[in-house]
Amino acid sequence: MKSSIKLIPLVFILALFGCSATTTIDEYRPTGEAIELDANERVVVLGRRDAGHYETDREFIGCVGDKMRGADIQVLPEQEFIDAIYPWFEPRTAPKGLPRLKRLMQDASVKTQVDERNVRYLVWLDGSTETLDSGGSISCAIGPGGGGCFGFAQWDKVSVYEAIVWDLNELTEKGRLRVDSEGTSYLIGAVAPIPFLTPVKSDACSSMGNQLKNFFSVTQ
Amino acid sequence: MLTIKMKTFAAIISLVILSGCSSSASVQLTNEFPQVLAKPKALSAAVVFEPSFATYVAKPNAKTVIDIGAAQVRLLRNAFAGLFSTLEFVASREEITADNAMVIIPSVREVQVSTPSENYLNVFEVWIKYNLDFETAEGESIDSWFMPAYGKTPDAFMASKSAAIEEAAIIALRDAGAKLMLDFYRIPAVNNWAAEEQKRARQQQDSIQQAKNAEVSP
Repeated sequence: MKSSIKLIPLVFILALFGCSATTTIDEYRPTGEAIELDANERVVVLGRRDAGHYETDREFIGCVGDKMRGADIQVLPEQEFIDAIYPWFEPRTAPKGLPRLKRLMQDASVKTQVDERNVRYLVWLDGSTETLDSGGSISCAIGPGGGGCFGFAQWDKVSVYEAIVWDLNELTEKGRLRVDSEGTSYLIGAVAPIPFLTPVKSDACSSMGNQLKNFFSVTQ
Repeated sequence: MLTIKMKTFAAIISLVILSGCSSSASVQLTNEFPQVLAKPKALSAAVVFEPSFATYVAKPNAKTVIDIGAAQVRLLRNAFAGLFSTLEFVASREEITADNAMVIIPSVREVQVSTPSENYLNVFEVWIKYNLDFETAEGESIDSWFMPAYGKTPDAFMASKSAAIEEAAIIALRDAGAKLMLDFYRIPAVNNWAAEEQKRARQQQDSIQQAKNAEVSP
């Protein structure tokens, strides 16, 4: 009973401070002006998947796309775009730089597919969320008389994502954005496991999506 | 009575946990693949999907089974349609009817799978190693090409191993299609065959034209 009472302030402190992520955004744009986007033009958000040890996950790409859609920006689903110009945006074949993109866009069939879908801008997202340090221990047991978890565990997560905006009409780079988000999550075992999860990836997605929204200015 | 119920409950919970942590995966690929965006060359080919290839079931380890046979046939049908203007798909060499076609016989050398517990990365990986034998219509060997394909998918909390391996296998098959489109005509022997075949077709067309002209002129 006494130990449960001692846990209350700890839980309270963790609830207050433990669940917020620290996010840093770095932005580079050649000009300070917003990127013009006609009402019928669309943006496609694509994940880089050519790195060996991680994969920019589709969930994050979808999340950033949803944030941008909320600002009247028309976003074409990633898979629809990749399938339309298969196999030229697969991990092995996707252009890594503007020279390769220029060569690809010289192919009439690729240009037709891009134009048919009114895709004007391409946003490449590259990054991942990783668990860095973890500490503590928690053990759970179950028996005929009942069960429960006891202990304390914590882990640090970090999300690092970079976005690069390419203009498919002018075949130029329009800007870069980098989001670093980190935070610590806790799990307290006081009979029932009580999680205090820091939404590191979700924070990175919100920051990336909101900042990308500011890149574009939709003209009616 | 209550004790029995609690024991039953505990047993059910334990079973659910144990089955949830199962490390075996059995996957059947049923997805469709997109049409390739490429202009085929004016050449003909006959692709032989032998029954062992069309019904191939990979067993990369004791706990993993991937049925890729039908999916790899669908993928290669699409991919070769972007390389040759005239195509014939057959189950054995004896069924080929096209003349002057390149005969392509694909086979699977090996399928490998790697999970996060093995590679210490947060990704599931699948490698499919293909071998493509190229022959002339007369049965003369042109070349034998080793074509590895790779796919990976991120590990997700509480996501099933089967779903992750299925996605990685689909990405590996798509990669096979991409590699084929990218490198097929870069294979020196295939490039030479294509050049000779186009030259032969031109000469044949010229001789037909000359014969026609001879018929018209008195």
